Amino acid sequence: MSMTTAKTDEVVKEAPAAASLSDQRERERMRRRLARKRGGGWWPYVFLAPWFVGLAGLTIYPMLDSLYLSFTDFDLLTPPEWVGTKNYEHMFAEDPVFWDSVHATLLYVAVSVPLKLALALGVAMLLNRDLKGIGLYRAAFYLPSLLGGAVAVAIVWRQVFGGDGLFNDFLSWFGIKGQDWISSPDTAIYTLILLAVWQFGTPMVIFLAGLKQLPRDVYEAAAIDGAGPATRFFKITLPLLTPIVFFNVILQIIDAFKTFTPAFVISNGSGGPLNSTMLYSLYLYKKGFTDLEMGYASAMAWVLFLVIAGFTAVNFIASRYWVHYDD
Amino acid sequence: MGHHISRRTIFRTASGLAAAGALGSSLAACSGGTGAGSSTSKLTMTWWGSDERHAAYKKALATFAKDNPKIEVQPTYSGYDGYFDKFNTNVAGGSAPDLMQMDTALVAQYARKGVLAPLDEYVGKSLDLTGFAKTLLANGTVDGKLYGVPSGIGVNQLTVNRSGLEALGLKLPEREWTWTDLKSIAQEVYKKSGGKTYGVDDGGGGTLQCFEIFAREKGQTFFSEDGKKVGFTADTLQEWWEYWAEMRKLNASPPPAITSAAHNDLTKNAVVIGKSLFTFDSGVYGAGGSITDAQLDFLPTPQGDWSGAREGNFVNGGVLLSATKKSKRIADSVKIISFIAQNDSAIKDFQLLRGIPPTDKARNLISSGLSETDKLNMANADYISQRVAKATNALPNPVPPPQGADQVWDLLFQSNLAVAFGKKSIKAQLGAFFDQAAGILSA
Repeated sequence: MSMTTAKTDEVVKEAPAAASLSDQRERERMRRRLARKRGGGWWPYVFLAPWFVGLAGLTIYPMLDSLYLSFTDFDLLTPPEWVGTKNYEHMFAEDPVFWDSVHATLLYVAVSVPLKLALALGVAMLLNRDLKGIGLYRAAFYLPSLLGGAVAVAIVWRQVFGGDGLFNDFLSWFGIKGQDWISSPDTAIYTLILLAVWQFGTPMVIFLAGLKQLPRDVYEAAAIDGAGPATRFFKITLPLLTPIVFFNVILQIIDAFKTFTPAFVISNGSGGPLNSTMLYSLYLYKKGFTDLEMGYASAMAWVLFLVIAGFTAVNFIASRYWVHYDD
Repeated sequence: MGHHISRRTIFRTASGLAAAGALGSSLAACSGGTGAGSSTSKLTMTWWGSDERHAAYKKALATFAKDNPKIEVQPTYSGYDGYFDKFNTNVAGGSAPDLMQMDTALVAQYARKGVLAPLDEYVGKSLDLTGFAKTLLANGTVDGKLYGVPSGIGVNQLTVNRSGLEALGLKLPEREWTWTDLKSIAQEVYKKSGGKTYGVDDGGGGTLQCFEIFAREKGQTFFSEDGKKVGFTADTLQEWWEYWAEMRKLNASPPPAITSAAHNDLTKNAVVIGKSLFTFDSGVYGAGGSITDAQLDFLPTPQGDWSGAREGNFVNGGVLLSATKKSKRIADSVKIISFIAQNDSAIKDFQLLRGIPPTDKARNLISSGLSETDKLNMANADYISQRVAKATNALPNPVPPPQGADQVWDLLFQSNLAVAFGKKSIKAQLGAFFDQAAGILSA
């Protein structure tokens, strides 16, 4: 968002004020003419009405309601009671589990997102070539992303990394004695991270699309100048790909912050052992629906919203310094 | 993009379908639909339990339907996990079931919030409670009113893999046994099995079946009378955690990873997976169709072996059947409750699946058809309730668990685990436990 405003600012500075004004008038006239031609008036809004109803009833109203609830004591069963900022104060000052969940979530985001993107880019580069049956390979690598969010996969994961699971069988081939990875507070979160990284398909497909659009002539020129593969990757591919990287980073960070299902299934809804897999959304759910503190859960939802918005804004600002736009 | 996310995130909170993940919003819309659809003429009923219990309920309801063709029942059943999450959401959405199985540990909270209907006006009319002891009905009574009919007698006990014990050449301990006896036999199990099997599940974080009884043996309750505080002292909890720390050190109890894996998951229980021979239990493993192939037997929770130790056991009411307050079918629900409590064929369907039957009539009806395990289970429950009835030094039955009780129980479990994993010393964890418990209960 801030990116686009910055750009229009530049345009305005460069162009004479009068020209841009007449430009605007011209555009306005065109728009009106088009509107008249198409029947204009209220008709578009009539057709858009179902969407507006959905937006108001399913998005705006619940959002505002949860904002209100976040300032109340609400147990779902009796009417909410206004308590001011008590929920927010309790969250930051008195609730150690909240901080456990923040810790678990930040660790999860900080480790899973870079690993996932690195893997996605690596595999995308391997798959960006003309081979027989390349489509099949691409589909095969995308498959985990289709399955990964499912409850069934999380259940399998719990089995694989359990004390008598497949992973320990595998380790035993090399004479390594494994442990119960899911039930140890030091390793449980990494099984969740591994599950997230395994689902690298979506960013991979996006990277692949980006790679296909890179201009060939630059690579030819670089090859003639004697640039090796590493140089080509770091000096050409990566810089040209930064808009795509940026897009993926934003998307994956947001996704990672919201992760719920695998943590819920793998820890049996407990976020354990010792809150080590108590991801933020899971704690929010637990507070709201198990402990019947829906006001508190609403406050948590708003804090998460603000944190995600903050991360995204920081990303957009930072992107000015590392994202290279071609145009 | 930020907007997109907020929508999802917030909507989850608003809609109650967080688990549905990416499909959250669309599914939420559907669930609203089914909620509205429940205003049909069918009476909705929910319960949790094992497959055997589901089958018994369905069989009993089928018999009921023959005599009462006008009352059509729409049952919904599941395991315990998530049962009350779902119930809460349904109540908030105005689609609470008419009739439900209720937990004795939660009945007070729901009754005081006005979710459950008092049943006193039906007692002696359409609700036949002949043969129910007053002390048993107390489990469904809150502030003087009856909000749930108990299914039977429940006791806290140890379930023992007797065949496993005998295979190691060990004998089942006597029913009059102490915490020291438990320690020595659990050590023996580890030694005789060559380190393959631990003795007894780690009970350091166990609440209802273990620590509460230990505290009562010391003359202390789990919750204070008004429910605003815990009722035991730091010394008691310290002694308890030290006992279990020693048990783990001696390999009498399994390491914390096994304890942690079994949390909320019966199938991972150490006795079920063959990693220990004793487990603290409120009747889940033994009652009806056991979950392992081993021959099980049952023992009371050990007694205190210090001077002045009291009787710590108490008898609870199994599960309850309750009608919800906003239901328009309370009278019909009461008929079903009464039928399940007194009808011969319903009693035979349930056997011990909802605890030891509460009336003498019911016990006589089922006693001949019981399996070996069920017989042993009933004998132990009888033994405990007789001992409690005779005891002159036992504290009165615990107060109904207050608001936040389940959070305190979970805190106890997590605290013991933190000690067991070596993340915290007992001293440090004691301070944290009492701070947090006070915060939860005073809120």
